[in-house]
Amino acid sequence: MPVNTDALWYKDAIIYQVHVRTFHDSNGDGIGDFQGLEQKLDYLHELGVSAIWLMPFFPSPLRDDGYDIADYNAVHSSYGTLEDFHKFLDSAHQRGIRVIIELVLNHTSDQHPWFQEAQSSQNNPRRDWYVWSDTEIRYQAARIIFLDTEKSNWAWDPISKSFYWHRFFSHQPDLNYDNPAVREQMWNVMKFWLEMGVDGFRLDAVPYLVEREGTNCENLPETHHILKELRRKADEQFPGRMLLAEANQWPADLRPYFGDGDEFHMAFHFPLMPRMFMGLKLEDRKPITEILHQTPEIPPSCQWSLFLRNHDELTLEMVTDIERDYMYDMYAESKMMRLNLGIRRRLAPLLNNDRRRIELMNGMLMSLPGTPIIYYGDEIGMGDNISLGDRNGVRTPMQWSGGWNSGFSVAEPERLCAPLIQDPVYGYPAVNVLSQKESEHSLLHWMQRIIAIRRSTGAFSRGSIDFLYPANHRILAYLRQLGRETVLVVNNLSSTAQAVELDLRPYKGNILIEMFGNNIFPRVGDLPYLLTLGPYQFFWFRLRRV
Amino acid sequence: MTLDGRSAVTSLVSPRRAGGIHTELKLEDETFLTDDFLRQLINVGEVDILVGLPTHNNAKTIRSIVQTIQSGILQAFPRERAVIINADGGSRDGTPELVTGISIDDVRPTSNLYALRTLHSISTKYGSTPATGVALRTILAAADLLRAKACIVMFPESATIESEWVSKLVRPIYRDGFDLVTPTYRRHKSEGLLLTNLLYPMIRALYGVRIREPYTAEFGFSGRLGSHFLNQNGWNDGTSGAGVELRFTLAAITGGYRICQSFLGEKERVERRGADLVPALRQTVGPLFSALESDFPVWSLVTGSQPVPTTGNGPEVLLEPMRVNRKRLREMFSNGVAELNSVFQLILSPSTLAELQRIAPLGEDEFRYPAELWVRTVYEFAASFQKSVISRDHTIQALAPLFRGRALTFLIENRNASAKEVEDNIEGLCLEFERLKPYLLQMWKSRE
Amino acid sequence: MREMIISELTQALHELARDFAHFLPRLIVMLILAFLGWVIAYVAKVVLRSILRLINFDKLSENAGASQLLTKADLPSATEVLSRFVFWVAWLGFILLGVSVLGILGLQEQITKFFLFLPRLFVALFIVFVGLLAATFFSRAALLAAVNANVPSPRVLSAAIRSIIIAFILSIAFEELGLAEETMLVAFGIAFGALMLGLAIAFGIGGRDLARRFLEERFVRRKNEENEDELSPL
Repeated sequence: MPVNTDALWYKDAIIYQVHVRTFHDSNGDGIGDFQGLEQKLDYLHELGVSAIWLMPFFPSPLRDDGYDIADYNAVHSSYGTLEDFHKFLDSAHQRGIRVIIELVLNHTSDQHPWFQEAQSSQNNPRRDWYVWSDTEIRYQAARIIFLDTEKSNWAWDPISKSFYWHRFFSHQPDLNYDNPAVREQMWNVMKFWLEMGVDGFRLDAVPYLVEREGTNCENLPETHHILKELRRKADEQFPGRMLLAEANQWPADLRPYFGDGDEFHMAFHFPLMPRMFMGLKLEDRKPITEILHQTPEIPPSCQWSLFLRNHDELTLEMVTDIERDYMYDMYAESKMMRLNLGIRRRLAPLLNNDRRRIELMNGMLMSLPGTPIIYYGDEIGMGDNISLGDRNGVRTPMQWSGGWNSGFSVAEPERLCAPLIQDPVYGYPAVNVLSQKESEHSLLHWMQRIIAIRRSTGAFSRGSIDFLYPANHRILAYLRQLGRETVLVVNNLSSTAQAVELDLRPYKGNILIEMFGNNIFPRVGDLPYLLTLGPYQFFWFRLRRV
Repeated sequence: MTLDGRSAVTSLVSPRRAGGIHTELKLEDETFLTDDFLRQLINVGEVDILVGLPTHNNAKTIRSIVQTIQSGILQAFPRERAVIINADGGSRDGTPELVTGISIDDVRPTSNLYALRTLHSISTKYGSTPATGVALRTILAAADLLRAKACIVMFPESATIESEWVSKLVRPIYRDGFDLVTPTYRRHKSEGLLLTNLLYPMIRALYGVRIREPYTAEFGFSGRLGSHFLNQNGWNDGTSGAGVELRFTLAAITGGYRICQSFLGEKERVERRGADLVPALRQTVGPLFSALESDFPVWSLVTGSQPVPTTGNGPEVLLEPMRVNRKRLREMFSNGVAELNSVFQLILSPSTLAELQRIAPLGEDEFRYPAELWVRTVYEFAASFQKSVISRDHTIQALAPLFRGRALTFLIENRNASAKEVEDNIEGLCLEFERLKPYLLQMWKSRE
Repeated sequence: MREMIISELTQALHELARDFAHFLPRLIVMLILAFLGWVIAYVAKVVLRSILRLINFDKLSENAGASQLLTKADLPSATEVLSRFVFWVAWLGFILLGVSVLGILGLQEQITKFFLFLPRLFVALFIVFVGLLAATFFSRAALLAAVNANVPSPRVLSAAIRSIIIAFILSIAFEELGLAEETMLVAFGIAFGALMLGLAIAFGIGGRDLARRFLEERFVRRKNEENEDELSPL
């Protein structure tokens, strides 16, 4: 099935975030690869996803799980060859699945030939590709992002005896975007992959491209200018490709990344995600409605990207101190779970493996305005291993079956790139794709179902949103509308049964059709519409006037 | 479809016991909780902390009171589920709308206070005239339905209220497991004389508990105690309005609930009027005397008194000089003794009456209503009240001029006293009440 | 002639004996009724006394101030009085019933009137009793209110109210008994009206200042000197 040629395909997409390294191993070396990923495309197609976001797979010393890049135009040897990648890309397109790859624009690995050249001497032609200084006092106002490991944004280079600028790990020196050669080169990198057929890029760490003295070196106008330029070129030569921004900022600060529809197509709505978890624990919709109320309008061709969890920690940067303390106390009692102002746990463990809460959160993910992203393994409710350092606890091998290495690889278990989850609750014998396929009421089947329902109407992906504010603050209710299609979503955020009266007067005369069972519910009349919901239950209703 | 408040509620009420004189509180009483209020309660759901605010035409002060309470809750208990319930007695100045208008929720995202979760402010009209008993009953019913763990009642005219007061009243209940928290204040030594000269010492002597402010418009209580009081008999006997606050305190004592005191701050000075004494007596001494009858099994066995745990600096006394019309007090006392002789003959013992007649004509310099005489007076009044020698309400009214005499003596004795001396004098009076308790017991039992 | 006298006398005697024989059974019945009546009345008295003791009637009458009147009149307690009264009434009733059996014509009417009169007597007594209660209560209430409001001469006021109420009650009682109805009513009306007029004049002219102060206190709520210095009991 060929990929549809709609220019706004990303609005209707269901994105699956996956790391080729931990998905499926085809050659028995204990590390996932592209051939293995290709073999599992049918699984993804059956699940109903329409796009895959691949985490970095370029050659890298892997000191930051691939985000430290040593070569922009190749594939890491462990994952296969460029040929393998190309073949995978074609297979995906045949099934109607698009592929989005990561591109780390802001920095490279210190093992990248460019940096090695630049540090060799102060006169090297590549010297100016990075940001150097004799002192550490420049750009003082910039915050440190990896608080748990880094003490400064400057690192000392013993070879050229000067400091170089790095917003992330010290082995990831920042590229100097004031240098036109750098900008030119990075466009060439993008072009390389676009020519191969890649459908879009997730551009990592975009707020930090440019530094200026006296600022916090984030979201600067020069940065936006560079990004707009990249977008312009991509639109000219490769129409229909998508740019997704990774910018962990408040919604008001995120807005400029959409420009006037001339910068990024999509951006992650970071502040919403922790508030969804908070609303669930508080049993109060206030945090969720407030942040969405503060979210600015974006250009019509743009789209937010929503997610529950990802490969990083559940970040609590964009919340107040009181909220952060609350989240820590509620979701991360053990200090070991906390990292860099965030919580490094997977979705299922965060929700205590409570099937109802997992469904509710996914229901909100699929019905709030934006394109949903599913983190690999969350569709079967995989667990995490917090004793693995950094954020690796949420990056364990995909659990395919209850058998050898959970079907991930035929290698010896000791050779696996990461240890499998083995505990009795989340371990692979209990949680795996095969057994869930066999079970009619498994989470996997439920996810398939809800994805199918989500895709059945454009109201979710492209419609407007109107919040209802019922007096019962434990109920989050809103209407999604596109043209003549209207969907009513009602979520019970509390652990106890609730009754709610909704003011549906503008929709008087409509019959409600519950979208999971397609049963009709009473018609909207003059009086407030009464609904009762069980703990953590939610309803999706199609409004139909006969 | 609509939410039928009543049908939702009937399931909450246990069936009426057949043939009993005592009826349990029927929540579906026709006019008690309105459908609209019930609907609001359903929407609020279970809470941890409930603040009750009885009002009547308080539009001038209510906004700042509610905001102070809100910031008090948000400072001390940011994660707890809380609600402010306004029981309004027919205000015509828009007080209820002012209360609900500053509810903290996502419908009105303009509040200046930062709140983690919704903090509802809801309001109900319990009647068209103010009646503190009905207001309190409404608040108790709401607390019971919402299963609140800690509740407080606040006074809507306190200009001196501070946001810490919320914490001071709630924390002992929420954190330390107390059931009743009564306040202590910083007040002038000439204020609250009925409390210091009658209510406090008498309750202390009879019930054995040293509660400085047993009758108060601001106090905290646990959900346990609230439900217990709500389900007690006595709401339908027509006197439900008078002195419910006092009966609440007594119910806590007789029920064996844990009581403590918490120092709040300066007490609001309400405009003083001479006509306030008799209503005050009706609301405090009347219910107290009535309660003695049913509580006899409890207080007859108590000897001595125990202090209650107190947080904060204890009651403080302001010593600034304040004008009180002593001449008038003395006049009213002596007029009362003279004019009400026929009434006193029915109430007091001959020796007490003779003593009163002896001191009545004394001049201002020599006048003294000694503690022992006062205690005997009060006890004899209590005994006569119980036997209903004359109408009970008349008994209470007759006490007023005598109280004025006692108040005068207290003021004179403490005219130049230091704070500690004032406290010692009060303590002395309390001990006198305790010492003469057998006298009351003897009178009580004699004509039964 | 002698024979005529004797036969007339004998006839007269016969008639007398016959009348007497006619009369005797009735007399016997009357005596029986009287005796029965005594028994029943006695039982009624005892029962009533117990009931009254049970409801503590003495105390009630003490409240009414009736006991004081009784003591002044050298009568025993209210319970006793009432019980004995009921006894006598009941017995009297039975006696009269017996007398009616005798068939003495004129007496019938009077007896009937007497029995018709009885209920009204009871009602009047009841009114008086209740009235006494009310009078005591209201006069005492007025006394206390006046003392507490620092109104001068509270005892006078209290006595005045008591008198008014008693006068009113008496007039109603007399009306009920049907004795000098109109006279009583008119007399009461005149007395009451005169009193009111007097008060109005007194208030209007003599008590101007007092009235003004009283009204101001009620309606203007101005802090006058007295109130500022008053204590706040709570």
